[in-house]
Amino acid sequence: MSTSPEIANSVILSTQMFVALSPILLLSFGVVLSLLLIAWQRSQKMIALFTQFILFSTLLLTLHLLSGDLLVGSGTQITTLLRVDRFSYLSFVLICFSAIVVVSLSRSVLKSEVEVHDEYYLLILLVVLGAGILVVSDHFASLFLGFELLSISLVGLVGYFREHKYAVETGFKYLILSATASSFMLLGIAFIYSQTGNLSFAVSSNVMPFSEQPVQIFNSVGILLLFSGIAFKLSLAPFHFWSPDVYQGSPTPITLLMATVSKVAMFTVLIKCCFSQNYFTHESFIEIITAVALLSMLVGNILALRQQKIKRLMAYSSIAHFGYLLIVLTVSSLENTDFAWQSALFYLFAYLLANIAIFTVLLISEKNRSNVDRDRDIHIIDWQGMFWKNRLSAVLIIFSILGLAGIPLTMGFIGKFYLLNQAVLFKSWWLISGLVIGSGIGLAYYLPVIFTLFKNDRVIENQNVDVSGVYLVTTGKQLFLFTLLIVTLLLGVFPDLVSQFIYR
Amino acid sequence: MMLTFVIFGLLLSGSLAWYTDNKTFLGLKFQAKWMALVSVIAFAFIFSFSVYLSPLSFLTLQTITQVPWINSLNINYALALDHLSITLIILAFFLAVICILVSWDEIQEKAGFYYFNLLATFVGIIGVFSAVDMFLFFFFWEVMLLPMTAIIAIWGHEKRYFAAIKFFIFTQVSSLLMLVAIIAMAYIYQQQLGDLSFSYQDWLVLELNDDIAQYLMLGFFIAFAVKLPSVPLHSWLPDAHTQAPTAGSVLLAGVLLKTGAYGLIRFVIELFPQASENFAPIAVTLGVVSILYGAKMAFAQSDFKRLVAYSSISHMGFVMLALFSFNEIAYQGAIVTMVAHGLSSAALFSLAGMIYQRIHSRNLSDMGGFWQSAPRMGGFGLAFAAAAFGLPGLANFVGEFLSLVGAFKVFPFMVILAAFGLIGSAIYGMVLFQKTFQGSSSKIVRDLSYRELIISSSLLILLVILGLYPNFVLQYFRGVI
Repeated sequence: MSTSPEIANSVILSTQMFVALSPILLLSFGVVLSLLLIAWQRSQKMIALFTQFILFSTLLLTLHLLSGDLLVGSGTQITTLLRVDRFSYLSFVLICFSAIVVVSLSRSVLKSEVEVHDEYYLLILLVVLGAGILVVSDHFASLFLGFELLSISLVGLVGYFREHKYAVETGFKYLILSATASSFMLLGIAFIYSQTGNLSFAVSSNVMPFSEQPVQIFNSVGILLLFSGIAFKLSLAPFHFWSPDVYQGSPTPITLLMATVSKVAMFTVLIKCCFSQNYFTHESFIEIITAVALLSMLVGNILALRQQKIKRLMAYSSIAHFGYLLIVLTVSSLENTDFAWQSALFYLFAYLLANIAIFTVLLISEKNRSNVDRDRDIHIIDWQGMFWKNRLSAVLIIFSILGLAGIPLTMGFIGKFYLLNQAVLFKSWWLISGLVIGSGIGLAYYLPVIFTLFKNDRVIENQNVDVSGVYLVTTGKQLFLFTLLIVTLLLGVFPDLVSQFIYR
Repeated sequence: MMLTFVIFGLLLSGSLAWYTDNKTFLGLKFQAKWMALVSVIAFAFIFSFSVYLSPLSFLTLQTITQVPWINSLNINYALALDHLSITLIILAFFLAVICILVSWDEIQEKAGFYYFNLLATFVGIIGVFSAVDMFLFFFFWEVMLLPMTAIIAIWGHEKRYFAAIKFFIFTQVSSLLMLVAIIAMAYIYQQQLGDLSFSYQDWLVLELNDDIAQYLMLGFFIAFAVKLPSVPLHSWLPDAHTQAPTAGSVLLAGVLLKTGAYGLIRFVIELFPQASENFAPIAVTLGVVSILYGAKMAFAQSDFKRLVAYSSISHMGFVMLALFSFNEIAYQGAIVTMVAHGLSSAALFSLAGMIYQRIHSRNLSDMGGFWQSAPRMGGFGLAFAAAAFGLPGLANFVGEFLSLVGAFKVFPFMVILAAFGLIGSAIYGMVLFQKTFQGSSSKIVRDLSYRELIISSSLLILLVILGLYPNFVLQYFRGVI
């Protein structure tokens, strides 16, 4: 796991490294090209298609690399900054996939506005690039670089529709909190550097060249600060306060972007950092992880209980889900990290599909609401009776929510099963009880959502609400929803299809 | 293969019933209820004949199917049958027919989806009774829960959402504890024998140290005690039973509660014999408390279905008492009680459904004097109430008697206490009958229709057969313990 010494003297970028890094390079090239495209001709349709094309080819390239032999084993080190391995590219696949969905959903949102939205697409590409750098980073500098690229682009996107009611507030909130998070993280990195004298992940933090007597406290505080910076982004309790407001205030595709791309990337880099720095051998680190995980499971689930707005509900449920996911960080030894990666990636995939499904349907119902209340958020009650009007969307929502709740037949259950395996292996009974209790509380808000879909006795308390109940869904979206449903069910029953791909 | 065919066939015909409901093909108007009825009867015959003709002896578990499912964790799709599971599956099939007949006129709205859910629940139940891979078992355990919750939540009575959520959360949380125990067992197997295994038969050879076994047993026990249900984990049951539509209550009381008892027999006692023996005093106490508490609460109810629901708690207490006495007679008593309670509670809930259709109330104070206008219904009502309080000659008596006799050798004091439950059951049984059929006649109700006659008489005939000739079932359960 140590940096290979020949890197310093040999060529900076060999062909093999170039090939290994090609998806990220392609993406950055795409960013430049789209800048040129904007200079050449400002056309909404063209930039959207181009972005889609870039993302799609990046996805294909990544998949191609994954099916080759290049990434087998510990991966390819590219300078000291980056290391490409299977797991980072697998999560990059997840990132690209959700970005593609976000871009396609964005088109329908942007269509209603008059301006040409080149920046919007450019910012999405930058977010994906930031996420890409995060997942392949092997060094605190590249971690910080990716982190900032991701955050700053997201700030622009969060407040993109500046004439909307919450846009400015949301943008500011996100900006300030990201800045706080990154300053925390920087300080943490500085502390860690003061102990190790090296910013690379691969150097074990137990080496302390600068001090004769190890000042363990600096290292611990450093790790704690670094973790809290990342926890801000993952909206883990007690750093979760921003997330419901920002979820609610952002345009729906951007909420999805935040819920998927940003979180998947941050979580991947967290695992990478923890595993290569052997943080799991620090008892105090495990204690902190356990405490944060338990707190997130409970806070997320309990606060979600009273939510009526779907976006806020999703925000709180996501807090709880990342609390569950922290279980994978508590591995007992390096041999178990492969299984931990597998559990994490599977869970993230399940979480991502469920989020994509719910936000897609949310966007469809946002499109269908009447013009009178365009700024009104979609409440759970707006989905009442959907099962009898729009079978496909409703069935998809049902299975996604069951997946989030971790009920069999869905991927979410298998994900939870992996996490429980992990927790039992590590004998972390606290986390197990947290997961069981959290899931119990979770049902109390997931099930009412499902029941609402079945209710048909709608009481009209607000005349402005459009109750005609016509759900206009285009054929393309229908097809997309159907595919999502099939994938969720198929992988929920045959999880081997994915794990074979992960292990190879 | 046969069992897999039955499971998937039922699921498929459920979907077909949903799809073809109220549609016309080739000049025929399809109705979900006919589709469901025909397919259940057909699959029941397929199942019974293939078991009857099978060369295997089902005295011990016989693996029917085993196909690799999730290779990375060595999880198989494995089904096995023995006399216990066969008996319970046949009971489930019989009650499935009853359920469909009971819902015949009651369910008019969204009938297609209703019958789909009904059949899906049966798929889950059959799966639970036959799965021997623990992951698969858990899978079916949860699958049976989903459509059941849908039945309560969509076609239930006024407080259905609350009842459905409560039912779901109780079962889900407790079954997660079981899942943790299952995973822990798999890793213990890996520690001892090198490979990960979720197979029940593999686990039987494990040697567990006492502490761990005790905790793991508790994980399973809690999940099954919730389903059984046993005091203090029973509080979902009165709500769920009361709010569910008639067929939902029949299904819950008749078969779903038996999955709890089945789990206790199959998994808790057989996988952790020593730990269960250590735990027996507590379990038996819980059983006796359930018997007395259920009887007492039943007596205090003014809602017909709630009364029957509490009586279920009381009856299942006998099963718990008998199972944890580790005695052959008591074990046989538990089996008979399970079957008998399946029939008698199904009968009482069907009766509640029939009355509800006539007067649109479950409240006992709205009833009274029905004997005058509906003597046939009254006759059946009396017989079913008598079955519930254990009148000799009817099945419940045999079950409870054997349970008490068997358990007396081991826990004499507890059995004496439990016997008071029989008196309690006579009291609530008579209260139920008197308030409904006797007294001044307030309303004129229709007597039983032919469909209802079929339901009631088939249930009664079975209760009588089992009461007079319990060997009918018992012959398969000799020398098991």
